[in-house]
Amino acid sequence: MGIETSKGYKQVTKWLKLSRKKPFRFQTDAWQYYAEGYCGLVNAPTGFGKTFSLFLAVVIEELNRTAEQTKTASKKKKKDTGLKLIWITPLRALAKDLARAMREVCMELELDWQVSVRNGDTTAAEKLKQKKQMPEVLIITPESMHLLLAQKDTAAHFHQLQCIVADEWHELMGSKRGVMAELAISRIRGIVQEKHPERLLRIWGISATIGNMEQALEVLVPYQEVLKVIIKADIEKKITIKSILPDHIDMLPWAGHLGHKLAHKLLPIIHKSKTTLIFTNTRGQAELWYQNLLVLDENLAGQIAIHHGSIDYELRNWIEDALHSGILKAVISTSSLDLGVDFKPVDTVVQIGSPKGVARFLQRAGRSGHSPHETSVIYFLPTHALELVEAAAIKEAAKTQQIESRDPIVMAFDTLIQYLVTLAVGDGFDDHKIYLEVKETHAFSELLPSEWGWIMQFISTGGDSLSAYTEFSKVLKKDGLWKVESRQIAMRHRLHIGTIVSDPMLKVKYLGGGYIGMVEESFISKMKPGNSFTLAGRVLEFIMVKEMTALVRRSKLKRAITPSWMGGRISLSANLGSILRKKYNETLDKNHEDEELDIILPLFERQAKVSHVPKSDEFLIELIHTKDGYHFFAYPFEGRQVHEVMAALIAYRLSRKTPISFSIAMNDYGFELLSEYPIPLDEENIKALFSPENLGEDIVGSINSTEMAKRKFRDIACISGLVFQGFPGKYTANKHLQSSAALFFNVFTDYDKHNLLLRQAYEEAFYQQIEEPRLLAALQRIQLSKIILIKAESYTPLCFPIKVDSLRENMSTEELGQRIERMTAEANQKMRPVHMKSRKKNDHHL
Amino acid sequence: MTIICKEEELILNKERSIYWAAQKMLIISDLHIGKSAHFRKHGIQVPSGVGEGDLQRLARLIDLYDPQTLLITGDMFHHKSNSEVAVFSEWRKEFSQLRFQLIKGNHDQLRPVEYASLNIELIQKELICAPFRFIHEKPESTDTTYTISGHIHPGVTLYGKARQRLNFPCFYFGENNAILPAFSAFTGLSRIQPQKNDRFYAITPSGVVAV
Repeated sequence: MGIETSKGYKQVTKWLKLSRKKPFRFQTDAWQYYAEGYCGLVNAPTGFGKTFSLFLAVVIEELNRTAEQTKTASKKKKKDTGLKLIWITPLRALAKDLARAMREVCMELELDWQVSVRNGDTTAAEKLKQKKQMPEVLIITPESMHLLLAQKDTAAHFHQLQCIVADEWHELMGSKRGVMAELAISRIRGIVQEKHPERLLRIWGISATIGNMEQALEVLVPYQEVLKVIIKADIEKKITIKSILPDHIDMLPWAGHLGHKLAHKLLPIIHKSKTTLIFTNTRGQAELWYQNLLVLDENLAGQIAIHHGSIDYELRNWIEDALHSGILKAVISTSSLDLGVDFKPVDTVVQIGSPKGVARFLQRAGRSGHSPHETSVIYFLPTHALELVEAAAIKEAAKTQQIESRDPIVMAFDTLIQYLVTLAVGDGFDDHKIYLEVKETHAFSELLPSEWGWIMQFISTGGDSLSAYTEFSKVLKKDGLWKVESRQIAMRHRLHIGTIVSDPMLKVKYLGGGYIGMVEESFISKMKPGNSFTLAGRVLEFIMVKEMTALVRRSKLKRAITPSWMGGRISLSANLGSILRKKYNETLDKNHEDEELDIILPLFERQAKVSHVPKSDEFLIELIHTKDGYHFFAYPFEGRQVHEVMAALIAYRLSRKTPISFSIAMNDYGFELLSEYPIPLDEENIKALFSPENLGEDIVGSINSTEMAKRKFRDIACISGLVFQGFPGKYTANKHLQSSAALFFNVFTDYDKHNLLLRQAYEEAFYQQIEEPRLLAALQRIQLSKIILIKAESYTPLCFPIKVDSLRENMSTEELGQRIERMTAEANQKMRPVHMKSRKKNDHHL
Repeated sequence: MTIICKEEELILNKERSIYWAAQKMLIISDLHIGKSAHFRKHGIQVPSGVGEGDLQRLARLIDLYDPQTLLITGDMFHHKSNSEVAVFSEWRKEFSQLRFQLIKGNHDQLRPVEYASLNIELIQKELICAPFRFIHEKPESTDTTYTISGHIHPGVTLYGKARQRLNFPCFYFGENNAILPAFSAFTGLSRIQPQKNDRFYAITPSGVVAV
């Protein structure tokens, strides 16, 4: 039976009609399935009311229930207020907006519901209020969910709980935060089942389109006995992708990552749009663009803002509000504004530089033209010439919906350890019961009883008895439950719940008061008093560091250095790489309709002249001899990360035959090996060099896996509670308990080899860093390709960005710019003498 | 490795000690006994082997040089008395003839009777033993006496090709002061800014290397 006849459904559709809206098919489907007790995943384009598909489902049920109650007219109305819906969001910026939208609905439907937000920014007073009386709807981050479980008497919160929704599930799923969500859901479901076995707790996810939708649902709802459904909207969001093209290819540098050369072309776009969101890939880039736009057009002062993760909460809040009210003409942002925030005035989005993946690009595009049937408009601003091809590839991928998959994280022992201590800090836990719950989650479905045993030992006795952990105390068994008794340990644990590990950050504050944001400690440590830097678009003069806070004053300077935040550099996705290779085919063949490829044609012709343009069934290798040495360039187009490992692998295999050492550089398109001596290479041995045979063995031989695992262990040590992160603005009180992840890595290696956290570090290194499966696939593809070996006279347009990238590590942006200019000039000059020589020859002939 | 400092011969050992043969004195710093047990008490999993390993290394050094005095320039004990201090107490009995001198460091907070029962001479501030002054923390202003201190756990970074970077604990010898590496294996490093005429001796797994 449909729910169309129910009172709540009628009430909601009537209300929608008043504001001249009609529910979409996928929304009514979701309402129906929800009412029937299904769990599931909703997938719809941005702007079509994904939120309402689930929020209204819960509302309809509530309206029906209250209607039922008034019918039976029990005068003694049982008090049934309390938490009904938990709404998990990955980003804090999302929460405020969602709450606003939900409150509006409740008000207009005269539903007496409280909607509250709970995350790292929630005040203590608000938290206390929530503890006394839980709101009906709680919008929460995975971290705050765990904090909730770390409180005493948590079970009481969930008496009325009907539904848990994981918003932006595609975003959460691929990270340890997703594992946190899985674990928290498993516990809350366990509590509800225990106290209210009759209740059907429904778990729903909302996801953008990704390659592995079915798996996403299985990860969120791994339970066999429940009914599950994927609701996919049959509506297509119109997206217009335009490239900001140079008038001539020479306007664009061969390499670089700023793209300032095209900045003047951005101004008209900003002027003709209501509000523009400008996305950059790094925080440093965002700061530089902000400065640059102001230099280009002074009238923009006060009309543009900058938004990224290192900017103070208050300031970000102000920017978000200003975006809503349409005061701002443009906001320059990093991924901090990636996700589903609905800023109505935004009608244009600009992406600066490669977005590295199709899914991310489409997500960003969706920030504009948010309402249904509006068209999302996104401009792509290439930062160097070859990115024009990426623009063409992105367009094709968007058209054919070739969107990447997200791999869920499994067997994250660090996160599990943190979770178990969280439970022990809260009400304590029964290990048999929790084992079964944990084992049911997707992340730990392969967990062995022996591994569980080790983890229980780790938190209760410190580790196995072989490596003796005397005097250890953390989690103890009391009255049948595992608990943390020490208040000190409990407090420290609560402070460190979460899986996002960042470099030590310092708060930046004006001498007279007022926070501006955060910068990395390593950056500030290099500053001398009187030096200036930029943050949040302001030029600041550094005065001193006091108690984990950098004190600054406004600088009179117009420009200053920009801190580089250590964000992970995102690698090109395999998906985009393969379309990119195809586009290389089309450019010279001219059988395409992409204006970007027309623009880049002269560069490709040049590449064809000095070397070769690889087709998708070809594998290009360039050998170049310069005064720096012998260069070997290879172009697999598999992304920076795969190239890093492949380069090390090839270097290893080359040096095994003849002792030779290399320095290595790479970018998303290819990699370089540089040696002082000629590299022994010919068409014959290349295939053997790139052979997938003995891959595992050779990887171990070529890569310092210990170093890589050590790097991975940094996060693991923090998450599992071995090492404490400093908090910006907070003085570390536990100085006598400070140590480093590297120290623990060494100590465990020497004294506790069987530590599961060590094993996790090696496994993460192998699967996430080395990406062995993708590397194998790439090598197999190369085996089937035609090898093109070219000996070039000077740097080619293709190899140039790699060459420049290898310099990037130890030089600041400005110097790099100069260096690039010089090298471009050198490359050009090198071409000229060749001509001159030939002319001379001709002269002789004459 | 043997070096000359203020015309005195000092032997730097890769087990993080200095032997001053002329005085038959073995000098170490920042032993941090009880640190790993202190961590365990606070719920952080550090294997006991770490602390035992430190004492075994120290025993081997004593066997090697057969000194009359063991001088510790501060931070011998990490915190209050715990099981590892008890282990040390037993260990101490094996070397009852050896004189233990401790210059009080910021971490050393056992009671005077406890030091006495462990047969350790406690020196409150500094020990002048010409031409050297031994002290835990390097004073802000120094006089002509060459100061040898500990406290900061000095480390040095070696840079190699292909962006390789390695950190090692080190001995630091400056114009008028020297700093000892921390003896305990369970200690971090802080890098020091080199000044002109400074000498660094990195402690690598294979031995002490001048850098």
